[in-house]
Amino acid sequence: MVAQSAPSRSSTLRIPFEGYALPNGLRVVLAPNHASPTVAVTVWYHVGSKNEAAGKTGFAHLFEHVMFTGSGHVPYGVHDRLTEGVGGSNNGTTSRDRTTYYETVPSNYLETALWLESDRMGFLLDTLDVQKLNAQRDIVKNERRQRMDNQPYGLVGEIISNTLYPAGHPYSWDVIGSMADLTAASETDVKDFFRLYYAPGNAIVSIAGDFQPQQAKALVARYFGAFPRGAAIVRPAAPPVTRDRETRLVYEDRVQVPRLVIVWPTVGRGSDDRFALGVLDAITAGPRTTRLTKALVYDRQLATTVGTSQDSDENAGEWRLTITPRPGVPLTDLESAADGILDTLKAEGPTAEEIQRATAGLELDFVNDLESNLGRSMRLADGLGYENDAGSFQTEYQRMMAVTQADVKRVANKYLTKGRVVLSVVPIGKVEMAAKPSESTPYRRTEQ
Amino acid sequence: MTRRALSVVILLFALTGIAALAQATLDRSKPPTPGPTPMLRVPAWTRSTLGNGAELVVSEKHDLPLVSFTLTISGGYNQADPAARRGLADMTAAMMSEGTKTRDGEALAAALQLLGTTVAVRIGGETGAIAFECIASRFPATLDIVADMLVNPSFPPEALERLRAQRLVALVQARDQTGAIASRVFPRLVYGDAHPYGQNITEATLEAITRDDVVAFHRAYFRPGQALVTVVGDVHAAGAKAAIEKALAAWPRGGEKPVFQYPAVAAPRASTIYLVDKPGAAQSTFAIGTTGPPRSTSDYYALQVMNTILGGMFQSRLNANIREEKGYSYGVSSSFAYGKGPGAFRAGGDIVSAKSDAALMEFMKELKGIRGERPITDEELSTAKDALTQRLPGTFASVRSVNTAMVTLWTQGLPDDYYQQYAARIAAVRREDVVRVARQYVDVDHLVIVIVGDRATVEGPLRALGVAPIAITDIEGNPVRP
Repeated sequence: MVAQSAPSRSSTLRIPFEGYALPNGLRVVLAPNHASPTVAVTVWYHVGSKNEAAGKTGFAHLFEHVMFTGSGHVPYGVHDRLTEGVGGSNNGTTSRDRTTYYETVPSNYLETALWLESDRMGFLLDTLDVQKLNAQRDIVKNERRQRMDNQPYGLVGEIISNTLYPAGHPYSWDVIGSMADLTAASETDVKDFFRLYYAPGNAIVSIAGDFQPQQAKALVARYFGAFPRGAAIVRPAAPPVTRDRETRLVYEDRVQVPRLVIVWPTVGRGSDDRFALGVLDAITAGPRTTRLTKALVYDRQLATTVGTSQDSDENAGEWRLTITPRPGVPLTDLESAADGILDTLKAEGPTAEEIQRATAGLELDFVNDLESNLGRSMRLADGLGYENDAGSFQTEYQRMMAVTQADVKRVANKYLTKGRVVLSVVPIGKVEMAAKPSESTPYRRTEQ
Repeated sequence: MTRRALSVVILLFALTGIAALAQATLDRSKPPTPGPTPMLRVPAWTRSTLGNGAELVVSEKHDLPLVSFTLTISGGYNQADPAARRGLADMTAAMMSEGTKTRDGEALAAALQLLGTTVAVRIGGETGAIAFECIASRFPATLDIVADMLVNPSFPPEALERLRAQRLVALVQARDQTGAIASRVFPRLVYGDAHPYGQNITEATLEAITRDDVVAFHRAYFRPGQALVTVVGDVHAAGAKAAIEKALAAWPRGGEKPVFQYPAVAAPRASTIYLVDKPGAAQSTFAIGTTGPPRSTSDYYALQVMNTILGGMFQSRLNANIREEKGYSYGVSSSFAYGKGPGAFRAGGDIVSAKSDAALMEFMKELKGIRGERPITDEELSTAKDALTQRLPGTFASVRSVNTAMVTLWTQGLPDDYYQQYAARIAAVRREDVVRVARQYVDVDHLVIVIVGDRATVEGPLRALGVAPIAITDIEGNPVRP
């Protein structure tokens, strides 16, 4: 075992943890916290929708569902009975980059949680058959309907991914995948996927809560130590994109109120620009003191809601602006009003007080996120998986706090350029309600 | 006391455990035997009364430099909203963040941002709250601003118009969502327009609200005599009390807890399907249910066990059948709303359109099953009880959840040892109790069955099923002539 100690630095973000690796490559992070007699176990696999091939989209997420159907020594249903059924909880989440499984349980069930997680890492295929796969396929299709197809504006994310990234880029499809691809997934696909990605060398076990580290180390070694490392994985290239011109789309949805969405390509977790982009996000929309919210919702009252977000996935990122108009306000007017405000911000940069307001709440956000054992175990696993540093939340906090007026001005000018996607979502039959309708191309859904 | 002693016990167990692990070969075929159930550690708190009559509860928790503050008011929009001005409570709550006599709305927002916090003002059906969470060192400064919002709101008229316009748009948007439609139609059909539980905010009620209404509502509602202040986290009880007394010194005495009196609900009709057309919907939202008991019912613990078996967990009967076995949904569940009045029992979820008829059959099968047609197994009974009681220790993990636990005791009038006694109350529930409360409260002959979906796809198969007569309603629940 290779031990690495990581002392904490920030005054309040004092989260004790230690990280090490097993000989088979499984990385482990332990964060004891005796505030309540519970423990959270997160198992993080470095595989997401970006590892899929075109024509097999939705696979990583479908697989996440398959992981709850039982394994060699754990019949279907036992996982729920020994987590939720003892007062805990369990779930899984799939992103473009990673798939995470977790349990929170009373602390006397730590070994049980490790038994459950290790069995599906080591013995999933022992009991997998086509019936199980088909059942989960139907459920995932229902998930797609519930989250996207039956949801007003529910397809915006998919349209943006399809448009912002060039065809074939691993971020160009939605995590949930297409209905057609979900139908086509075969038992062989599932088995190959499992053998390649669900191996100790591609996984992290992160435990936070009421346990003694010596005992946890012994249990992790016992339950996970004998599995073979797994084959080397070729990671897909998913470079950040730059666009030299604007793409304008109009999508007709079953909605009564139109919506304007503008997205700029930004950077992935590897670039420090994401911190200044995060501060830019915080001073642009949200509380009534922020630039766009103040101007569009309060002073000029053109919009009912304005939102922005800066999201950096592992390899690339997006800065998104979403505006819902007041009745009768054309999206064209909203777009030019928003552009005017962003242009001023780009020309003048933010004030010192804007930076101060944006970063003042960060400490509370970070501490809130780390207060629960589950939040802690997930945050530590993400840091270890993406930055090879379980304590990277501390670095993130410090870099966010260090962002200057000049940094924000620079990233605003660098990323909020004309190379963007402008999407108008309008009621069916009302394409004339789009922003600059004559310049906007109708978005045609391919059969999902 | 408990923490240190408990740690020693675990450490001893750990050391002996490691020695044993090194020798034994691993048998994966059986789940590990869990160690002894951890002791329930209910946080201690101190209770007192402020000079203005408000009650105060402080619970210290020092593991992180965080404080959770809530000022709870007994009574909510069901007590305080006039039927013709539904939405007044919500509007007043929103107006509290629009400025004070010395800080306009923007200055207020900026001051809170610089303290790194947000203050939420919400008025629900039977309680209201002003709440925030902050870094401990900023607690006194945040408290001063909250007191200013509470005592000196300016209620600018232009803010009222902006908030009204936002809410009118949100109402329009709600009509695009099958789930939001069901959440309006179901209570209206269960309780009727004469009962506060059955009343919805509409364009007309929003348009009727005036600034004078807001001023009067604030004056009558935010009174210390019906208030509880709870502070949980990295504070010292005496210091917290002094800071609160000082901050709330200008809040004048007065007010008392409201009487929760609801009109009788009309006798329920025979089970009926109310079909709301949402053309092109990929899924139908189901809301199936009827009136339930208040939280004060002596059947509470039996109902908790019953609902956990029926629809409270992932592997409960409804979800195990309709999602996991049949694949008709991404998730279905059931719940009781409880509260001071006859809060609804409601089962439902989103169902793929083409399986709406088959899913309804399964819902009915499980609702009848829990009443005795499908016997409750030993494992169902013990798993439900374990899930309910072993969940409790984890609910005291964060400052916010401890705060919620304290507030619940006060709003529901529960005894101080409620959490300590909970496990014994659940353990005392017998199988026959579960069946009895299922027969009493899951009244399968008098269900309101709301289905919001694509009528062209679902109506024919639902009629052929013959479970109940079908009434077509509009998106507000009004009958539509065929």
